[in-house]
Amino acid sequence: MTAKRTMTLNLTDAEMRVLDELSARKDITKTAVLRQALRLYQTIDARVEKGEKLLFENDATKEKAELMLL
Amino acid sequence: MTVDVSKIYLLDVATGASVEAELRDAIEQAQLDDWQTKWRPALLTVLQELARRGVPIDQWPQSWHWDWTQKTTRVQGLLAFRGFSVVALGETQGLAQVDLTKTGREANQRGKPLVYVDYLEAAPWNRPELGAAPRLRGVGSALITAAIALSEDEGFKGRLGLHSLPQADDYYRKIGMTDLGQDVAYQNLRYFEMTSEQARAFFEQEGER
Repeated sequence: MTAKRTMTLNLTDAEMRVLDELSARKDITKTAVLRQALRLYQTIDARVEKGEKLLFENDATKEKAELMLL
Repeated sequence: MTVDVSKIYLLDVATGASVEAELRDAIEQAQLDDWQTKWRPALLTVLQELARRGVPIDQWPQSWHWDWTQKTTRVQGLLAFRGFSVVALGETQGLAQVDLTKTGREANQRGKPLVYVDYLEAAPWNRPELGAAPRLRGVGSALITAAIALSEDEGFKGRLGLHSLPQADDYYRKIGMTDLGQDVAYQNLRYFEMTSEQARAFFEQEGER
């Protein structure tokens, strides 16, 4: 198992509610939600940096919407 | 990067003896060198023999075109991708690469994160479907075990998913994964998933061996 380091995280009530809700819905711990968020953010950022776009497609209508990242 | 190394045991098919091996939670340059200098020539010999015998290409080992150097370079530095390797008798016996960004499709775990096995391959001399008797047995199981253990470690409770090459379909059924059918969005390969309960059963079965 890879060694892990501990950090303190300050979240607003709203952020904590979202974290709680995601943790319950995704059946993973709050730490796992944040680790997953970091992975996804890094993956998306790496692809956007290479000039790719992040698109969401509606399965039914096939309508596409681009997510703008800052 | 520190590489975690666990001691595992494989079976020497010819002698029936246990062979000590290393399960490493990375694919390093030494493994890529082995792939280039040992796996590829061994596979080329098999392919030449298949071509000589006129075996249709759809019956060739379906991972024959995989390029592990390319696969690992593409995801280098990305937290979402992890590699595993099995090393024994001084050479690489198996490789796997997994993706941590995918979610489940099976009804009970739809939308929940899982470890998705992107690629898993045993060295050509360990693959029974390539004609000759395999040298070492247990490489694929060791890599699947590592992927499930990672799923547990990441808090994904053992959930696992993968698209199987047709030659491996029976193996994934045998280890208790649910066959969710052909995926038209992924070259019509069959998609398999392991639930937390199936992962527990897999571990129990492996422990009994």
